[in-house]
Amino acid sequence: MASANFFPYSVNSLVRLIVQFPLFAYIVGFLEDFVIGIMRTGPIPKHIALIMDGNRTYAKNHRLPLKDGHFAGANALVKVLEVCYKVGIDQVTIYAFSLENFNRSKEEVDTLFGMLRDKLKLISENEESYARYNKVRIKVIGNRSFIPDDILKDLEYIEQITKEKSSRKTLHVCFPYTARDEITHSIKSIVQKRVLGEIESQDDITAATIEENFYFGKDVYPLDILVRTSGHTRLSDFMLWQCNEGCTIEFPDVLWPDFGFLCIVSVLFKWSYYKTIQLEEEAIQGKKPNLKEVIPPVLLHELPSPPPAASVSRK
Amino acid sequence: MANILETVGLNSQADATLDQVTADATATTKSRRRKGIIVQPENVNEQLKTDRRQPPSSNRTTNPLTVSLGLTRDLVKQNKTTNSVLELIGFYINHFILLSLFFVISIFKNIQFAYRYMFLKVLTLSYYPNKSPQVIREDVNKLSKIPKVVSCILDLKDDEDENGGVLGLTNQIGELAAWCISAGIGQLIIYEYSGVLNQSSESLTSLSRYISKNLTLYFGTDTKPTFSITIPHKNLITFSEGASSTNRKVDLEISLISYVDGKPTIVDLARTMGELAVNGELSPKDINAELIDGELTDLVGPEPDLLISFAPSLDLEDYPPWHIRLTEIYWEPDNKEVSYPIFIRALQQFSNCKVNIGK
Repeated sequence: MASANFFPYSVNSLVRLIVQFPLFAYIVGFLEDFVIGIMRTGPIPKHIALIMDGNRTYAKNHRLPLKDGHFAGANALVKVLEVCYKVGIDQVTIYAFSLENFNRSKEEVDTLFGMLRDKLKLISENEESYARYNKVRIKVIGNRSFIPDDILKDLEYIEQITKEKSSRKTLHVCFPYTARDEITHSIKSIVQKRVLGEIESQDDITAATIEENFYFGKDVYPLDILVRTSGHTRLSDFMLWQCNEGCTIEFPDVLWPDFGFLCIVSVLFKWSYYKTIQLEEEAIQGKKPNLKEVIPPVLLHELPSPPPAASVSRK
Repeated sequence: MANILETVGLNSQADATLDQVTADATATTKSRRRKGIIVQPENVNEQLKTDRRQPPSSNRTTNPLTVSLGLTRDLVKQNKTTNSVLELIGFYINHFILLSLFFVISIFKNIQFAYRYMFLKVLTLSYYPNKSPQVIREDVNKLSKIPKVVSCILDLKDDEDENGGVLGLTNQIGELAAWCISAGIGQLIIYEYSGVLNQSSESLTSLSRYISKNLTLYFGTDTKPTFSITIPHKNLITFSEGASSTNRKVDLEISLISYVDGKPTIVDLARTMGELAVNGELSPKDINAELIDGELTDLVGPEPDLLISFAPSLDLEDYPPWHIRLTEIYWEPDNKEVSYPIFIRALQQFSNCKVNIGK
């Protein structure tokens, strides 16, 4: 389904080659801004999540060391983030590191940890750096007990300096995260609150309570789009609770470092197209009223008693 | 009397905005609740179906006409407040380009739909099981591996439609069961959002009878494979004729799950764990993913290896979130039928996928 809408790899690399000439770069940048300007006039998703899969396959295909594959992935991420925020998406969630990734070699895990910290530092260090200039709040989502102390300290500092800005743009970095761990964490904290008496009765526990106790916290929009690159049609333990209702899931057959402007824009365009149709249908037919509230059930014996029953044949 | 008046009052406000109506309705509900004449409906599945949020791509009733209608309406409608005239003109130029692009896309999508429709028809011809298990087994034996547990998302269609209503669903489950047994798959989980089939033991018996009848078409009357049907939520289980007399393992375990087995079950689990913790029978520290996984496997069933959605676009329809962690998902764009080619193509995709957890 998705593959038909994406350019194959060779075209993508050709485009990248052309983009590198300064004059072309200027023209391409202008065109990109034009496309973004067009998209901004349509419906825009509020929350998009990205599973960045394919860095290692990319490195293997290009005969590069693993590290360079991850580096190319990080560059692609910066580009995609820029497009997302320019289009007007408020919240972007990226799957940076899974709890299962600890199964990888220690060397690679350390590289990933270090690179993530360096990249986040780079975009938030100075007043002029990307995140602070564009007022993007960075939030680390996940089980912090697995992060080494020195890296955790840096991450908390990054969260701190980007927090002060009163902005709606947020970047959720899932690190280290799995959806099952998140649901477990939520149930655990609910049980703890129940023991402490913060939740008074078991009837107060609803699906909303579980969502509030996620790592994401309360002020998060429902997920609109989930993108998993590299063509695998699995969710790999990412945002399972959030993505199974009212969310468009895309599995483009592109490796993450090749996931460029055209790919992200086509995903957004497709969503925008179907959303427009949905809005149109709602405008024509009107939103269906909530049956549950409009027709409340009535108890029969509560009704006023009917007139006496009479029969013609019997006396 | 008062109730009727209220209802009439509501209907007469049909022209009022939706917000108002909803607000009135809530007010009525509240007043009724105060009077004590409200009982919570026990089965809200039907109503839930209308409430469900759907991804935008699940809409398929589009054609160039509706899009162009929308186009003109959007051009007239003013939906943004801008300061200067220049900005306003810029906005409309851009919006016009956007809508023209959408128009082009809609033409493209219609062509694509026609192409895919033909493609599916060709597939149906080339992969025709002919109600013969040998053909299906031969197709499957070309693959390197098959899943242990298969789950299918089925949609309840309107009674008037082809394959609609409960009967349509029963028919689809019967076919799927026969394909699974022929392919050698041991477990089939059927997910249907509203859970019409999961309501009573009577529907279970009639479903079981239908599946047996369908299996005789594939395997003959004498050597009918055995199966069991489970409804985890109600704790009901039925065995087919052959299986109940002899105590051996059944050839196919079918379980029927619905919306309630997903998030509501997790909520229930949180409630139960909360009660246990309050009574001191469970320490919050002991709660971990393995414990919850064990409980949910007992309550709902195992994690499927392959999830086949027979809807025109991928929509998980509130499928139990805990259970789709590493599940391979398959769906065929623009397909609305439960047909054998989709089933076999899903198995083909599964046999080609490589699962490496975290690596």
